[in-house]
Amino acid sequence: MNKKIVFSWDRLTYFLFSLPAVILYSFFFVYAVIVGINYSFTDWNGISKSYNYIGFDNYLSLFKNPNFWQSLEVTGKYALMLVIGVMALSLILALSLNSLKRFKTFTKSVYFLPAMISAVTLSLIWDQMFYRIAPKIGEALNIAALSQSPLASPKYALIAIVLVNIWQAVALPTLIFIAGLQSVPDELYESARIDGASTFKRFRFITMPFLVPTITVNMVLAIKAGVTSFDYAYTLTGGGPIKASNLIGIMIYNDAFQNMKFAMANAESVVLFVIIAVLSFVQIWLSRKGGVNGK
Amino acid sequence: MKLTIKAEGLGWRILRNVVLVLGIIIILGPLYLVLVNSFKTMPEAGRNFFALPQSLNFNNYAELLSKGEYWGYVWNTTYITFFSILLVVLINPTVSYAIARNSHKTYYKIIYFYLLLGLFVPFQVIMLPLTKIMTGIQLLNPFGLIILYGALSLTRGVFLLVNYIQQMPAEIEEAARIDGCSTFQIYYSIILRLIAPMLVTLVIMDALWFWNDFMLPLLLLNKAKEFWTLPLFQYNFKTEYSFNYTMAFTSYLMAMLPIILVYAFGQKHIIAGLTEGAVKG
Repeated sequence: MNKKIVFSWDRLTYFLFSLPAVILYSFFFVYAVIVGINYSFTDWNGISKSYNYIGFDNYLSLFKNPNFWQSLEVTGKYALMLVIGVMALSLILALSLNSLKRFKTFTKSVYFLPAMISAVTLSLIWDQMFYRIAPKIGEALNIAALSQSPLASPKYALIAIVLVNIWQAVALPTLIFIAGLQSVPDELYESARIDGASTFKRFRFITMPFLVPTITVNMVLAIKAGVTSFDYAYTLTGGGPIKASNLIGIMIYNDAFQNMKFAMANAESVVLFVIIAVLSFVQIWLSRKGGVNGK
Repeated sequence: MKLTIKAEGLGWRILRNVVLVLGIIIILGPLYLVLVNSFKTMPEAGRNFFALPQSLNFNNYAELLSKGEYWGYVWNTTYITFFSILLVVLINPTVSYAIARNSHKTYYKIIYFYLLLGLFVPFQVIMLPLTKIMTGIQLLNPFGLIILYGALSLTRGVFLLVNYIQQMPAEIEEAARIDGCSTFQIYYSIILRLIAPMLVTLVIMDALWFWNDFMLPLLLLNKAKEFWTLPLFQYNFKTEYSFNYTMAFTSYLMAMLPIILVYAFGQKHIIAGLTEGAVKG
């Protein structure tokens, strides 16, 4: 009898433990998603007191809107450049840092410093760097393209923003790669060396298989960061010049709060939701195929 | 070890060191320029942007700090981060423990997957409705922001903590239960201690996010200057100091200073914690 009462008290404790999380998450996350999807079927401008349901009209006009496609294209380019830059650099840095014998702690902490700073402050610093240093380099080397800040040029603005993003985003993947490298058993390298395998072959056939899970992790993080990026472009260019850096995140923000197209912005974010969901499923599918660890 | 050095070859080591030094210059270069120019007057910076300042001129600092607003923004960022972390630590381990120790029960299975669904939702999807919801319940203030951070921390927190708790042996808990401890006592005096390493990881990741976050403060607090956080202050002042750029540099430096100080003292834990969280995630 006594035992039964204790048992039910415990069940109640567990239930109460789960309650704050479930309530907060349901209201501020799940309910928000539902409200957002609901808005995407209306013509609400975000301010007026009433609105009408217009079915899929927002989505239809979105798919006919060249600005939307242009924004998706810019976002795609941005994500691609970010992924390539982050993956290549962080792999190179991880291989370099991992084999370092002296000054390892110091070097690692310098390389991780950018991850501490807020994207806004960073962007403003780089804005100044581009503005003050690019013309000097352009003058010295006689490169016309660098006669002004690359952020002011429709041709180079996106690349400049990606560079700032990479400058910060390389830190964490580098550490993840180092963790992956340290999971490779040393015996494998030694026996390969005894068999006379070249440096490249050792990298290709020993290091790479162990890195596959970390490559997947880093790639997915970088793709998601690229597709949903906002802070850097918003601070550096605000989407310009002439929509050259009009990322989907910026288009959503501007349509919702500047252009009085609140419902349309919700439709845009639902499309982004679908893109991310598809990417996430690809991630799960890829990570099931796994590397050595099968993680 | 000797074998490694011989086999790696000199060429590779030189190339590696060149790459690493170049990287350090690219990382520290801009920060160096921010530091030295914050001590210069405008004409001096115009004459020589790259050199060390001729003398340590604290006028920019005095001007920035005398306005008193800076301390307000530091205070706002600090207490928003602090109370958000408090909420994270209150709600994440409890629900994770309940899920991990009842994973055979339908209710806990459902809420586990329910909380993890958030992994698939980009922030942009909830940001627009959230601004309307928060306006509707009059929470466009730091309190609302703290509640939101708590709610948005759950997906990652539950993901990391449930896995961690499930990998822990249950014997200690069973022994405590036989000794007559209640679930709450076990949680409070045993579990919280055992999960401390993963909880530290979570706290570091979330604290860095809250401290540096731009998007949510922009949506919730931008209209009320008295609520601004450091990133909002930076963003809103980008036009104010566009002419006086040595002053701008001073403000960048002061905005970075608190987090860099924290990093200087706790870098080992911060790096270890963030790696742990990212590898497990």
